[in-house]
Amino acid sequence: MTRPEEALEYARAEAARKRAAGVYGEPGPGGLDESIVSGRPSAELLSRWAVVEGDPRLLYSTRRAGGPITAIKRGLIRLLRQYLADVESRQTRFNIALLASVQDLEHRVERLEETSERGDTAPGTGE
Amino acid sequence: MTAVHQAVAGAGPYDAVTGQALAWRRLLSGAGYGGADHAAAIDPRLREGFSPLDDLEPEPGDLLVIRYSAWSPALTTLLDRPNPVLLVYHNITPAEYLWNHSAGLAVQCAVGRIQLPAFARRARVAVADSDFNAAELRAAGAPDARVVPILFDPGRRAQRGRPPEGDGPLVLVVGRLVPNKRHDRVLDAFAAYQRACAPEARLLLAGEPLDAAYRRLIDGLVTASGASNVTVAGGIAQPELNAAYAEADVLLTLSEHEGFCIPLLEAFHFGLPVVAAPNAAMPGVAGDAALWTDGDPAVTAELLDLAVRDAALRAELARRGRVRLEHFRSERTGAAVRAAVADALV
Repeated sequence: MTRPEEALEYARAEAARKRAAGVYGEPGPGGLDESIVSGRPSAELLSRWAVVEGDPRLLYSTRRAGGPITAIKRGLIRLLRQYLADVESRQTRFNIALLASVQDLEHRVERLEETSERGDTAPGTGE
Repeated sequence: MTAVHQAVAGAGPYDAVTGQALAWRRLLSGAGYGGADHAAAIDPRLREGFSPLDDLEPEPGDLLVIRYSAWSPALTTLLDRPNPVLLVYHNITPAEYLWNHSAGLAVQCAVGRIQLPAFARRARVAVADSDFNAAELRAAGAPDARVVPILFDPGRRAQRGRPPEGDGPLVLVVGRLVPNKRHDRVLDAFAAYQRACAPEARLLLAGEPLDAAYRRLIDGLVTASGASNVTVAGGIAQPELNAAYAEADVLLTLSEHEGFCIPLLEAFHFGLPVVAAPNAAMPGVAGDAALWTDGDPAVTAELLDLAVRDAALRAELARRGRVRLEHFRSERTGAAVRAAVADALV
């Protein structure tokens, strides 16, 4: 019998043996790895999030025989699409403008830090 | 009659926190306490047991049991009431897993973690269902947080529904289809197991999907993995889940974040071997009764093969599982629940 404490080492040895024989490939990234946001979101990701666009397919009823309710909910979205599009575009406008401002500030901070590290005189001091 | 009211952010038919609230209610009613259970959001499929949180009007002296697993504005307003509070911390999924898949839920989780210290400080008694959760609760400002495990009722595991169809070793995965459960890694490991060890093996994923889009994403990952005999069952009722446990050959969980992981206890109850990743609360719950993988799909595949084929190993794991289950006997946990409620009412 393989004792539970010995199972991992046994499995590693078997995996290595079969990998050498070409049965197993090298372990790759998981299919969800890229979608998990560890640390600060990238600028590209923030740009994607900035655009507000609801997905009507996510609107549904969980009630038993909720098909008609799902249809009504999606129908309301269609009826209100002019209003909703306006709300979405106003929010997106704000998000994009804010994101651009933040990115501009980041670039200015970077330039100032580079200047400071080189020991240059800060612009505008008159010295 | 002293009233004990429970409040949760959301209640649903396949939700572990909801299940625990209902289990506590049965226990509290048996102990002579009154009160009712309330939720800020109630899934229409949940036919009974919960009222809207807005309807909660506690009398002075009533105990508020706040079950905390996500933020909700309605839960925060309860802190302003003069009533004593018993906080039950079930942990909160880190928002990093959710930002790209459910912005609303990610916000609930991110704010939930920010707000946790306010709940921890306000609680007269703070409990967590695992050592892992208790450590977070203590760090958040409840230094005397105690562990009151999940109320596990073997009686609810007796009724058997229809078993899964097919032959071949059945690998069972139980848990919501959400990113932190890492079903992508499950599929990679199962595909490797099927390819190298058991071409006729079956995989059953039991659990409610995050939403329709995430369900489509999982379906895509199933196709991309190259595995066959994979059933994405969605949320299934307890009798059918019991039948799946009884039919299965091994339980697999590669989740990266678990506040407790009830399926571990369910597997022990059914004498089912467990292959798991040693993450978050799981090592504390399963102890030496599980086979722990290092995350390499090939290693996980070999552990699955061992767990399915090695009869002596299966028997030893089943024995250890029964020992672990003793720690979570409902009589023992019930006494801890009653003590926590009594202390909060003093």
